Amino acid sequence: MLTIALPKGRLADQTLDIMEKAGYDVSAARDKSRKLILEDKDAGLRFILSKPSDVPTYVEYGAADIGVVGKDTLLEEGRQLYEVLDLGLGKCRMCVAGPAELKDKLDEIPNKRVGTKYPNITRSYFEGVKGESVEIIKLNGSVELAPLTGLAEVIVDIVESGRTLYENGLDVLETVADISARLVVNRVSMKMKEDEIKPMITKLKETLAEE
Amino acid sequence: MGNKFYTPDGFNDQFPGICGVKRELESKLRNLFLLNGYEEIETPGVEYFDVYKEFVKEEELYKFTDSKGSLLCNRYDGTIPTVRFCAGRNYTLPVRFSYIENMYRSGKAGGGKLSGFTQGGIELLGASGAKSDAEVLAIAIKSALEIGITDLQVSIGQVKFFKGLMNQLGIDEEGQSKIKNAIANRDSVTIEKLDISKEDKETLLMLTEAGGTYDTIDQIMPRITDEGAKEALSNLKEILDIMERYGFLKYVSVDLSLIESIDYYTGMVFKGYTYEVGFPIISGGRYDDVAKSFGKDIQAVGFSLSLTLAITALMRQDKFVPSKCASVIVGGDFELATATAEALRAEGTPAILDTTGMDEETLENYAKEKGIETVMYMGGEA
Repeated sequence: MLTIALPKGRLADQTLDIMEKAGYDVSAARDKSRKLILEDKDAGLRFILSKPSDVPTYVEYGAADIGVVGKDTLLEEGRQLYEVLDLGLGKCRMCVAGPAELKDKLDEIPNKRVGTKYPNITRSYFEGVKGESVEIIKLNGSVELAPLTGLAEVIVDIVESGRTLYENGLDVLETVADISARLVVNRVSMKMKEDEIKPMITKLKETLAEE
Repeated sequence: MGNKFYTPDGFNDQFPGICGVKRELESKLRNLFLLNGYEEIETPGVEYFDVYKEFVKEEELYKFTDSKGSLLCNRYDGTIPTVRFCAGRNYTLPVRFSYIENMYRSGKAGGGKLSGFTQGGIELLGASGAKSDAEVLAIAIKSALEIGITDLQVSIGQVKFFKGLMNQLGIDEEGQSKIKNAIANRDSVTIEKLDISKEDKETLLMLTEAGGTYDTIDQIMPRITDEGAKEALSNLKEILDIMERYGFLKYVSVDLSLIESIDYYTGMVFKGYTYEVGFPIISGGRYDDVAKSFGKDIQAVGFSLSLTLAITALMRQDKFVPSKCASVIVGGDFELATATAEALRAEGTPAILDTTGMDEETLENYAKEKGIETVMYMGGEA
């Protein structure tokens, strides 16, 4: 029996589509009830639906063997996991964004204040990559408000189409990382349930290559 | 009342029933270590910060000062204090030491991974080569089996193999740390994106595949030209040969992605896994350079087993039977009861003597609640 942690929402459905194409019976997980654990004993699969940012936690502790999680969450949480497959879903970029006039002038602002939902990614980008200290202001949503209200000069956030940014007079200033959904595996499960997990990775890989 | 009733994050009380089992497992480990000639030592549990500072991240140590202002820390692991102990004395090498102690690690806890936990382990100091590596690995496997962890998988890797391979591929230090992370995380996505030849990529991807035994080594050997990397593979092969003689080959697999975490390992490394806990219960390897920090050149290899994680695993695998203290309670006439309890104890039966003067009914109810099998109520009532 494999336990798979899926992030509630669209990404879960898209992942199930890929699994179905790869020949897995995922009908149990299509259950639209409010159940959080969906089990199919015959298929040997159990799905748990969790908040996206909690998926790596379930997998790291071994409460789930496998998980699907955005690279943004992986970078932010920095957990001890095997990251085995790029599912190519939910593609977007982690960016530094701010007023359009700051383009190419980002490095000129000293002691920047950066608003973000991702304090760890922000710190490792500014300290590790750019080699500068910044003041990080942790926000929980509508991060674009920060530069508009003067709370921060710039933000670090996920950018998909960039529409919210443009409509508010903001622009992408620098790209921190490319983001997409990854298949992650608990390090112990990879060893103890190798017979179930390795074929699954191979099948999913083949399915993705066909697309 | 503040925090009076609680233990700090990451620290647990050991309940009766569990503590008893833990002590039993500790004795089993202790006997096994002694049987293999590893004498037990006890380090104080408090070390100078200087002892650890080269090996452990500062934030992972519990630090405090003594009355002279010297910076101290709690024991973080068994290895470093054992090397300190050995390096400061003139032992004829090789020397074999064992320990069963509590370790204290600040920082992330959870999932059965605590900040305070018990480890048992051994260190073989002043011995190099695959035969010594294999001795330690074999005792690690025996330890797990001895305490009832029979669903066991041990991955063995080689730090020198990775170093040699990087040398062969001509990758600079920055690239190395990126590749090291990618391989430790089995992150094939990052490896595919690397700016190196297709053949080199294939070689790196082979490292991320979960391992077999001899086949894994034979598969990658033809691609290796670096002498250090070749030696590393032959070292693993020799270890496998010895494991086969012990009949332990079924527990072991080669995992060349095992290069992460603790940087002080210099040769073969291993981690042992079981079901129902998300973290390895066994961890070990060769660390030839650690003693250099103490001004000595002592090649060494060792392992530790987390008893705390092992007990969690046994519980979740339904293999855990809580220990019981007394099977008899004696009450009633105090003089008679005392004599009876003493007689029982003399023949080795654990017996509780009622010192509170319970009547027969109260005593029976008390015994029932406590799960004490036999109640002996002495005379008096007739």
